[in-house]
Amino acid sequence: MVSAIKSIVTYTILVVWLAAVVMPLVWVITNSLRSSQEIFRNPFGAPWLITGSPYVDEPTVPAPVQAVKENYQKAWVESHFSRYFANSVLVTTASLIGVLVLSAMASYALARFEFRGNRAIFLYFLSGLMIPAQLVLVPLFFQFTYLSRAGSWLLRPLGFELQLHDSFFGLIVIYIALSLPFTILVLTGFFKSLPGTLREAGIMDGCSEYGVFWFIMLPLSRPGLVTAAILNFLGIWNEYLFALVLINTPDKKTLPLGLASVSMQAQYRTDWGLMFAGFVIVMVPTLLVHLVLQRQLTRGITVGALKG
Amino acid sequence: MKMRKEQQVFVVSFLAPAFFLYTAFVAFPSVRALLYSLQKWDGLSIPEWVGLRNFYDLFGDSDLFVAALQHNLILMAFGGCFTLLLSLFFAALLHRRVRGATLFRVTFFFPNVISSVAISLLWVLLYSTTDFGVINGCLELIQRALVSANGHLSAWGLPQLPVIPFDLPFPFAGTKYLIYSIVPMIIWMSTGFYMVLFLAAMENIPETFYEAATLDGATEFRKFWHITLPLIREVLTVGLVFLVIGCLKLFDAVWIMENQWPQKESHVLATVLYQKVFTEYNVGYGSAVAVLLFVLVFLSTLLTLRLSRKEAIEY
Amino acid sequence: MTGCDAIHRIPASVSQERVVEVAMFDAGYGINWQQKIAEKYTAEHAAEGIRVRVWGDQRVAEIVKPRILRGDPPEIIVITNIPMWLLVRAGKAYPFDSALDKPAYGADAPWRDTFIPGTLDTFSSGGKVYAIPGAFGAWCCWYDAKQFREHGWSVPKTWAQFDSLCDQIKAAGIAPIAFQGKYPYYAWSTYISLVQRCGGVAAINRINQIEPGAFSHPDAVWAARLLQDSAVKHFEPGAMAMTHTESQLEFVGGRAALIFCGVWLENEMKKSTPPGFEMRTFTVPAVEGGKGNPRLFNGQGGEFLFVPADSRHPDLALDFCRYLISPLNAASQGATSGAISPIKGGTKRETLSPALQSAMDMIEGAPGIFTERLTFLFVQWGDQNLVPAMSQLLRGEITPEAFCQRLDDGLTQIREHPVPGSPIPDYRPYDSAKFGESP
Repeated sequence: MVSAIKSIVTYTILVVWLAAVVMPLVWVITNSLRSSQEIFRNPFGAPWLITGSPYVDEPTVPAPVQAVKENYQKAWVESHFSRYFANSVLVTTASLIGVLVLSAMASYALARFEFRGNRAIFLYFLSGLMIPAQLVLVPLFFQFTYLSRAGSWLLRPLGFELQLHDSFFGLIVIYIALSLPFTILVLTGFFKSLPGTLREAGIMDGCSEYGVFWFIMLPLSRPGLVTAAILNFLGIWNEYLFALVLINTPDKKTLPLGLASVSMQAQYRTDWGLMFAGFVIVMVPTLLVHLVLQRQLTRGITVGALKG
Repeated sequence: MKMRKEQQVFVVSFLAPAFFLYTAFVAFPSVRALLYSLQKWDGLSIPEWVGLRNFYDLFGDSDLFVAALQHNLILMAFGGCFTLLLSLFFAALLHRRVRGATLFRVTFFFPNVISSVAISLLWVLLYSTTDFGVINGCLELIQRALVSANGHLSAWGLPQLPVIPFDLPFPFAGTKYLIYSIVPMIIWMSTGFYMVLFLAAMENIPETFYEAATLDGATEFRKFWHITLPLIREVLTVGLVFLVIGCLKLFDAVWIMENQWPQKESHVLATVLYQKVFTEYNVGYGSAVAVLLFVLVFLSTLLTLRLSRKEAIEY
Repeated sequence: MTGCDAIHRIPASVSQERVVEVAMFDAGYGINWQQKIAEKYTAEHAAEGIRVRVWGDQRVAEIVKPRILRGDPPEIIVITNIPMWLLVRAGKAYPFDSALDKPAYGADAPWRDTFIPGTLDTFSSGGKVYAIPGAFGAWCCWYDAKQFREHGWSVPKTWAQFDSLCDQIKAAGIAPIAFQGKYPYYAWSTYISLVQRCGGVAAINRINQIEPGAFSHPDAVWAARLLQDSAVKHFEPGAMAMTHTESQLEFVGGRAALIFCGVWLENEMKKSTPPGFEMRTFTVPAVEGGKGNPRLFNGQGGEFLFVPADSRHPDLALDFCRYLISPLNAASQGATSGAISPIKGGTKRETLSPALQSAMDMIEGAPGIFTERLTFLFVQWGDQNLVPAMSQLLRGEITPEAFCQRLDDGLTQIREHPVPGSPIPDYRPYDSAKFGESP
């Protein structure tokens, strides 16, 4: 009896929080399926797509299916979410590849080789965990100006100029650099946990050190790489501050930047359907990654926390 | 073990790229930030060395910097504490192996993976004073219920229930209340993360500990207090550090919810930094804020780690 | 690969296209008119390879301000809250004078002489003009004539009538005044109007000359009291959390009957205004016993255009400015964007909407205009003293005396610790007698 009450209480609490978390998201998704007129009449109604429209005969009110199409089409095409999405995919992918490759290399060297200064270099990388991104924001901004000027001076004879500001390249470099400390921390731990005999066996078989790394160690470290990749993906996909400072051209905006400006214009034009569709476009990739890879994500969090 | 020449080349070639990138784009700029903070510079003309003048100005600026610092502390005190307690509570509930634990664990984590820009925009809508404001809507329903209940109670000569002491709709997202309104948002978005963190740590505790306690007739609460809590202390500390750092670095929420124009009542350190450098062109002052932000992150990390090391329990 | 977008090929020769980029804050007036004129200009200069590109949105400052800082700004910038004087001081603003002395497009006079008197003064210093107005701004109160007819309300002439009108509106179940609470600067313009109504342009002179105690003067305190009184009594509930868009939606949605705003309001809300809504203006009412001439109004140049010194083509930029703001194109400005041109007699009444015609009544009937200059001169004072004090005043949290004291305290600091190398530009006081006021 007591345990029955206990479990009822437990479930009630859990379900209340579940509702608090899920309801706003459901609301966003529902409203992205409704026309602005529909939302304006009642922001909390069920979509007419399901219940049927009470205004079938009114020509000014779009049909439910039409409304869905219109919202997403407007967001994707007119408000350039397709562009922002492509930009975010490009920036995130390039940053992920960069940070994983560089970190894997550095971590492998740090984890598997003993040399003077090994510990010092490891700690040097780790100290980056204590540096808030805001500290380097302003100096990096000016550093980009100086580097661009110097680079342009060097490239001018060839007929080129360098502009790190307002470029994906600059943003990617910063994302890679800022993600290094955490990724190196995770991967070094991972490489240390792999049996050392594997490398010796590889060498015996005539592999070079590069071969051992590429054909033996890297495949074995896949779980570690996946974990690091997910955590970095979430961080970089959602990053706002650096993109805000560095990206100026509307065509180069990443999704968070695009969402911020589109939602402002959408509210200004009271185009609610469009705005909610934009929310969904931003939310869906990370939610999907989380749902599909939640086990690796959970492990990543624990690994990161326990080692830190 | 001494490395062969070939190995040396290998190690250097593997370390160099990361080392170079990290030095050029993290370590070096950090030092630059420190130098900027000692200068008076508008980013356009020639900088002037002013020593610690910027820091002196900072603490004299009770309307801006000190207020912003207070706001960060408020976020930490309320947002941090509640998130910690709530996530610990949920982790403890799920740790008892309730059915559907995975569903709860996965769902609770949702807000953590969503862009903070989207979350801030969403909460502005939830807090709105217009028809969209579901929070104000709920409060109005509650208020109406309370008032009508009070009507009945007074008819019976019974004492009155307390009613909501402010006018509805209440401007939650207004500048003046924004910092406090961000607190529930922080709790909403980060509880899942810390719950997963603590839960993972709890699942590492050997089952035998609990069995022994059950034999001794310990209650659930005593088991939690005397077994679980001490054994996850280390992770708890890490969680605390994350929370503190997160609240110190907060930028997106204030910037978005204030429509890129935060005011004295709603500034936090990061928005002061941004505004000073990029809209007022006061690079020295802004950098001084950045340096202090770093010092705070550094100190709180160090302090929490020091405190936890002393009492860490091995099992 | 697009990831390597940091390296560009330098345009091969000067004969290639030269782009004049114009970045505009897209709020009240929109940017359509400027885009149209830019197209026209581009077509006319196609042979020279000049292309003018106008873009803008509500977040343009976020983008343009860092670009100025890294030395790669647009050619022309139209953003309200930019630290203009800091840029002038750092030599980052390109003076307009060479262009101002050239003849205006569509007139024989030099460009300089075609502006409404006083509108070029806002950003002049040391005999040079660093920004020119892109529109003429006037402050007024807006209402829906249809709603007024239906309820039998009439336009108030005095502040007491205004107050009782608000009571009537409230009695009809409508919120009296919508307010853009998120941005207290909107109340500042109303406050300055009231200061003139109470104390005449003499009170405005005291403020603009940064006289000690300018705000603690009884007339300025009086104005603060009137403002606070009506804010506390008549502002729509929740107004203090609303952005300009939200509150203005309340107004055009008929949920609030009045709103103080500039003449750009109609155009800003064009898309959300329901048909049948008869938007009209009246001037800030006279204050009983006040010294000010109620036919004057708070007006000045607005939407200032400025050319950064780091601009790639400053001369082309100046020439486009001269073309854009000219007697030649002034008439189409009113018709397309609903803005009133800063060019003397440039705006044709018949091209305007009924709403703007009602504003023109106020503008044409006035013997002069007045404005304050502190918020342009001392951006920090505005953000750190004025804005917080204004929010508190409107919420009834501080007394009018304390409000005025805080404004004065901020100015005292500025007087005692002037920024080196930044002299406060000269000020030509308004002439009370000329404006029909007894000094």
